[in-house]
Amino acid sequence: MKFTLNIWRQKGPGEKGRFVTYEAGDVSSGMSFLEMLDSVNQGLIAKGEEPVAFEQDCREGICGSCSLVINGIPHGPDRGITTCQLYMRRFPDGAVIRIEPWRARAFPIIKDLVVDRRALDRVMQAGGYISVNTGGAVDGNVLLVSKDQAETAMDAASCIGCGACVAACKNASAMLFVAAKVSHLALLPQGKPERTRRVRAMLEAMDREGFGSCGNHR
Amino acid sequence: MALSGLGLVIYVIFHMLGNLQVFEGSHALNGYAASLRDMPILLWTARIGLLSLAALHIVLAIQLTFRNRRARPVAYAVREYRQASFASRTMAASGLVLLLFIIFHLLHLTADVIDPFSADRLDAEGHRDVYGKIVHAFQNPFIVALYVAGQLGLGLHLTHAVTSSLQTLGLEHAAFNRLFNAAGPTVALLVVLGNVAIILAVFFGIVRG
Ligand code: HEM
Ligand code: SF4
Ligand code: FES
Repeated sequence: MKFTLNIWRQKGPGEKGRFVTYEAGDVSSGMSFLEMLDSVNQGLIAKGEEPVAFEQDCREGICGSCSLVINGIPHGPDRGITTCQLYMRRFPDGAVIRIEPWRARAFPIIKDLVVDRRALDRVMQAGGYISVNTGGAVDGNVLLVSKDQAETAMDAASCIGCGACVAACKNASAMLFVAAKVSHLALLPQGKPERTRRVRAMLEAMDREGFGSCGNHR
Repeated sequence: MALSGLGLVIYVIFHMLGNLQVFEGSHALNGYAASLRDMPILLWTARIGLLSLAALHIVLAIQLTFRNRRARPVAYAVREYRQASFASRTMAASGLVLLLFIIFHLLHLTADVIDPFSADRLDAEGHRDVYGKIVHAFQNPFIVALYVAGQLGLGLHLTHAVTSSLQTLGLEHAAFNRLFNAAGPTVALLVVLGNVAIILAVFFGIVRG
């Protein structure tokens, strides 16, 4: 397969960036999006050019490092997956693909497609934890949690902190991220006592970091 | 935002219901208008209350819109929305349309600046002839077009606004969420249908002088 890529290139923080067009030839349909970028970078390195910087780590959808806006959609056209889980067979041969970084004031660009997402860590530090010592692991049946409650908490806990919600939100709000953390902890007995303080602290931190506000878009 | 908006929503609903009395003839409508004017203290309290609600709503809207713009200084080159509805993404624009419409509407039918034709006319009972004023106004196709456009702006704004403000107030429950989600579009549809019915009924001669 062959693709034309329009990729955002930016030398460093605060520099002026621009889109540069690259041709990706010889792509197999079984390649993941990041593997396709690896092969483009191999070509750039061979030509003595600077490879495109992008973030990745686990390449299996659990770490939340990969972060590309592909044709206007964070993590690309499929639902419920990260960029590393996206495969090139999802695109028609010869497609033109636009690749941009997450765009938000709270996520300044470090280089090319890599953004600084420490704002989310600071929001976590403001209250996304439980401050009592729970000691060693207790017997699983000591604290009873109903199946429904556990399932709902688990759903919220599936947030991997990638920041795609901020990238997708019209107002670059981190409300979905904060809501996921807040509900995950408040639904479980260990997190319940601090839940009101936690919500206030995390929301204040979110505002301090320069995220937008939630417009309840639906 | 949500509280000032909901205050305005309640007003818009009663405003529409009051005006539907145009279908009961000039006696009913002019009597209703006169009864409002007969209570100057109440009338002016309501007017000042409404104006301050509107002012508060607009100031908050401007602050919020600019804050949210600042949160993304560099825009995406390509953008695809997968979920956020058109109404929810255009609240500032539909709000601006509403503001322009409300100013025009006040100058037109409250202050009689735009069309002084029926400003001081009285009906047979000596009441101000609001009914005659409405019948006169909506025979003009330009006025009809402007009012219908204003109502489309109102409908768009309310579709998102009512449901959104319920969520802002924390009203969320699995058993009621369908009701809350339906509230916005329903209120929007009823208010717009009621208002547009008045305008078109006059224009097509169903309600006449
Ligand atoms: C006069 C000009 C108006 C302007 C400039 C304006 C602007 C706005 C804006 C920018 C928002 C925030 C949307 C968001 O959260 O993204 C909003 C929300 C809202 N507006 Fe307006 N609006 C106006 C008139 C009205 C009127 C006449 C009504 C009622 C009939 C109304 C009812 C509401 C409600 C209920 C909300 C929802 C608040 C929430 O989401 O918490 N607005 N408006
Ligand atoms: S809530 Fe936001 S940060 Fe968490 S996984 Fe979903 S998109 Fe990523
Ligand atoms: S690289 Fe870890 S989630 Fe994509």
